[in-house]
Amino acid sequence: MENLVYIALFAPFVSSLFAALFGMTERKVWIGIVASILLGISWISSVTLAYHIYITGEPIHVTMMDWINAGDIHIPFGFVVDQVSVTMMSVVTTVSTVVHIYAIGYMDHDKSFNRFFSYLSAFVFSMMILVMSDNFAGLFIGWEGVGVCSWLLIGFWYHKEDLPREQNPSISPSWAANEAFIVNRIADLGMLVGIFVIYWNTGTLQYDEVFAQLPNLSPHILTIAAIALFIGAMGKSAQFPLHTWLTDAMEGPTPVSALIHAATMVTAGVFLVIRANPLFAMTPDVSFFIASLGTFVAFYAASMALVERDLKRIIAYSTLSQLGYMFAAAGLGAYWIALFHLAAHAFFKALLFLGAGNVMHAMHDELDVFKMGELRKKMKGTWIYMTLASLALGGLPPLAGYWSKDAIIETAFNEHTYFLWFILVVTAGMTAFYSFRQIFLTFHGEDRHTALGFHPHEMYKFVLVAMSPLAVLAVITGWFMKDYEEFITELLPAYEMSEHTHHLTAYLGLIVLAFAISGIVLAYFKYARTGKNAFKQDANVEQGFIFKLLKNQYYVPAIYERFITEPYKVISGILWTSVDVKIVDATVDGIAKFLYTSGDKTRSMQTGNLSNYLNWMAVGGVILLVVAVISAMIA
Amino acid sequence: MIGLSHYLIVSAIIFSIGLVGVLRRRNLLMLFFATEVMLNAVNIAFAAISHYYNDLTGQMFAFFIIAIAASEVAVGLGILIVLFKRYGSLDLDELSSMRG
Amino acid sequence: MDNILSVLVFFPAVAGLLGFVVDQKSIKAYGLTVATIEFLLSLWLWFSFDMGNSGMQFVELVPIIPDMGVSYYLGVDGISLFIVIMSTLMTLLGMASMGETKDIKNMIITLLFLEMTMVGVFVALDAIIFYLFWELSLVPMLYIIGAWGGNLRIYASIKFFLYTFTGSLIMLVGMLFVAYTYHNLTGVWSFAITDWYSIVLPVSYQMWLFAAFFIGFAIKVPMFPFHTWIPYAHGQAPTIGSVILAAVLLKMGTYGFVRFSLPMFPDASVMAITPIAIISIIMIIYTAMIAYAQKDMKQVIAYSSVSHMGIIMLGLFAMNAEGISGSVFQMLSHGIVSGALFMLVGMIYDRRHTKLLSEFGGLTAVMPKFAIIFGIMLMASVGLPLTIGFVGEFLVLLGFYNVSPFMTILAGTSIIVGAIYMLRVMKLAFFGPLNNEENKKLKDLNARETWSLIPLVMIVVWLGVYPKPVLTPIDNSVKSLLTFMDKKAITQEAKDMIRVSKSTKEAK
Repeated sequence: MENLVYIALFAPFVSSLFAALFGMTERKVWIGIVASILLGISWISSVTLAYHIYITGEPIHVTMMDWINAGDIHIPFGFVVDQVSVTMMSVVTTVSTVVHIYAIGYMDHDKSFNRFFSYLSAFVFSMMILVMSDNFAGLFIGWEGVGVCSWLLIGFWYHKEDLPREQNPSISPSWAANEAFIVNRIADLGMLVGIFVIYWNTGTLQYDEVFAQLPNLSPHILTIAAIALFIGAMGKSAQFPLHTWLTDAMEGPTPVSALIHAATMVTAGVFLVIRANPLFAMTPDVSFFIASLGTFVAFYAASMALVERDLKRIIAYSTLSQLGYMFAAAGLGAYWIALFHLAAHAFFKALLFLGAGNVMHAMHDELDVFKMGELRKKMKGTWIYMTLASLALGGLPPLAGYWSKDAIIETAFNEHTYFLWFILVVTAGMTAFYSFRQIFLTFHGEDRHTALGFHPHEMYKFVLVAMSPLAVLAVITGWFMKDYEEFITELLPAYEMSEHTHHLTAYLGLIVLAFAISGIVLAYFKYARTGKNAFKQDANVEQGFIFKLLKNQYYVPAIYERFITEPYKVISGILWTSVDVKIVDATVDGIAKFLYTSGDKTRSMQTGNLSNYLNWMAVGGVILLVVAVISAMIA
Repeated sequence: MIGLSHYLIVSAIIFSIGLVGVLRRRNLLMLFFATEVMLNAVNIAFAAISHYYNDLTGQMFAFFIIAIAASEVAVGLGILIVLFKRYGSLDLDELSSMRG
Repeated sequence: MDNILSVLVFFPAVAGLLGFVVDQKSIKAYGLTVATIEFLLSLWLWFSFDMGNSGMQFVELVPIIPDMGVSYYLGVDGISLFIVIMSTLMTLLGMASMGETKDIKNMIITLLFLEMTMVGVFVALDAIIFYLFWELSLVPMLYIIGAWGGNLRIYASIKFFLYTFTGSLIMLVGMLFVAYTYHNLTGVWSFAITDWYSIVLPVSYQMWLFAAFFIGFAIKVPMFPFHTWIPYAHGQAPTIGSVILAAVLLKMGTYGFVRFSLPMFPDASVMAITPIAIISIIMIIYTAMIAYAQKDMKQVIAYSSVSHMGIIMLGLFAMNAEGISGSVFQMLSHGIVSGALFMLVGMIYDRRHTKLLSEFGGLTAVMPKFAIIFGIMLMASVGLPLTIGFVGEFLVLLGFYNVSPFMTILAGTSIIVGAIYMLRVMKLAFFGPLNNEENKKLKDLNARETWSLIPLVMIVVWLGVYPKPVLTPIDNSVKSLLTFMDKKAITQEAKDMIRVSKSTKEAK
């Protein structure tokens, strides 16, 4: 079994190196195929491991070699495969294998095809390190590794130029990539501080040893550690106020958005909270903050999705919103439900993104849903997939999202946090509305694209076939919720609904469902009809304050630009030209100049005139005399 | 009664005359004379103090100074003659080749 | 080979002298051969180094002036060993990467002399010998900047020389005073650093001496506000000069702190923690912001050097094995990474004769290899895990956290501000459309350039993934240094602050 661990981990690495070998040569389709096969091997290993854990219930723990040994700190490259990590491994490899195959079709016209696969596999490798590591330092390797791969992949089309925000809200791929990297770095500092706190209070970074020592620590330290780690999670999972990078990250190729910015990397923060659940369970205040922030982000992101016109950005907002749900669950102590929603979300959200990729491919990179409409006839497969995924996202039974999201909302009710429960229910309705707004605008209603000269065509067959596993999973995942609960609660704390909640389950479910269905119906009436009821842009609404607020993302990017980016630039300039050159360096040069000028000035004493010299001599003599007299008098 | 202080005052007056000469005169020859005046002022002080303490060392020093002054004048005048031959002047304002 | 250290020090100088008779055409091959042999010798030093021994090894001791206690005294321990190897490596690679250079013969000979002084500083165990090499190292560098530099080269080289020289004179006074005190206490004269370690100085003496040494070292490091010579020196120096300056010469300052200040003045060092940490934090944030504002690619890296040296300084004063070992490791890491970055900037300068960021943009399209290597070095510079840059930075911050969490958070912003200025360079130079006509016909790295960078890339990855072979000897020496400091410290505060590793305590 240990070999399988290594195979699962290193197959993507081999794939990445292999593709990198050909990184600078022209496009070769078989590189994509080899990479996909290697990813498939990783997937098979992960699933086998999952089955093994399921049967035996025994985690596998391997230590490859030492990494850093200095002073008292010992960090090995150790990997643990237990119920939590094997869930993540299976999800990551499943989605990434599909995305690899998908990318063969999607990237078929790109000259940097080989490079793309190299980055994509490198990402999977980093993600596997992140989820499999048995210590916080190893987690941090993966954490930063996925950050870099995300940077590389968002900026994949590095040659595009910067546009003003009005034309492209994300400015350019390279700008968005840098933004993502830097914002994540801010959070990583929090994560590092968390690691330091843990090390100096427990003397180790291994999960099991750290968790064993937690009861000995003071609540104060536990709170600091939990806050610091959660700041790290906030960056990677794009929680407010570090969320702006996620929508801008949509500048990357769509398979990247599906894999990294929907299914896997952004859920790393949730994974961290789940992984460190003993810590968060002991800090109820921090946990409640996490739940509240998660709920807030769920609502906040969903509200922005209501007015967005960019297909990928709508899905990005919905990802943000769903991450909020996961944090809400994790913060309320229902760790396994959060993990379950993470997995379910990974499947249907990746499917949704890949579907959006098909649309984009067909529409020659046009993403404005107002320019589409009635694509259903030309892209039947994609339409089915995206509708399925949206149904799952909207939370309609019996699809995956229904089960997992319902459980989260129920948890909020069970914890007596009725306000959170209410927000989450409303958000569920909004989710259904915006996801179907997008479906109806794209695939139904009036044909708006032909007039604009688009001639969409369906994606390659093999791509559609490759997407089918995700579609199946998006449908059936929820059916295994009970089995999964048994499996995962061997490691994670079980979460029991109270008797009271249990009685109300059916009603609670119905309320959520009612909200979801009304969202869809509303979307249908507004966007799906044709003829004289067809959707038209309403200038009055678009001039309204709320519309503008939502459209400009609550002006948060503008505020950041105005109050952080710009001042940083200006202060840097001032520090350089005024402080460093004009004060620090000028002082140094001033000393040199003083010495030089004092020599230069006293030079004029050297007149060459003996009489002058004698005068100076006399002055000197008098001064010496005076000094002698004064010192004699003092003495 | 003429005491030590009278001698010393005379000596100081003569020294000051010499000093002013050194500082104010522009001609090198005059400068020379002024230094001689200063030396002699010192000689007076030496002789007077020597007499006052009944110690001959001071008078001995005065003779030393006379001897040295004499040799100094001999060497110095030689240099002045060479200078005059070379520059045609002994005015200090014109002799400033060492200007920095 | 008992005299391996002497050979290591004087071989390049002797070979340099012989270089005067070598033909102009074959001088580069000659220089490379000498540098390679020197590098192999330093590797041999590593292989025959006893990893378990934390003390001085390969010691050579020949009295020169017995009455004054001056002797020719050399030795290496885990701390200096790798800095020596890095010096010989960077000289070799810097020389190998050198493009067309006028007066190449003088350049090669100067470099070989410089190599002697660099190795000499790191292996000297006698203060006078140390000082000798310390000052001698200025001369070749003065010549390199002054003769091969840019337009302001005379100003830059004189500034560099006078500034560092002033500092070293103050340090010399400190050294003489230590020797004088040693004489007063023991009755014999000695300039051997190991002898100096044995005397316990009163706290007031320690503080004055610490200050004297501090000025000498701080200007070399360079610490804020003594750093302003470095933008000029780097800005004007030819590529090879910048490479050696950043990779090796700056390390002399931090090495001096480890070799002199910490073990000799433990109490004063503990008292200096807060002021030095504040200066270091200013270095980290302030110079990183200045680096962000630069228009010239090379200046970005010059200022980034100062920022990284701030991390190193912070680690040295963490007073625990994690911090100091990390700091010494970071010296190596910074040497490799900044050396490589300067080489890269030099390569683009050779092609375009400009370093202004505004002239570039979209270079990845025409120079993919260049962009990839630059990207790797950039990631190492911002401290990405599994590159060499992370290990040191992580350990330093980890170590200093035990001293002051708040200051560690401030210093930790280096991972943010570092990313900001480096990514800006990447974006401006390598990303975006390729608009400038002149850039369209740029050629990618040639074989010479590629092969002088690939070893550095390999080291960056190797030591990032598996730092153990280097970190273990460093850590051993650092642990014994701390144990020694703890024993020697007079004040209770110092004893409390200096943290002897648990593993050392158990060994007792």
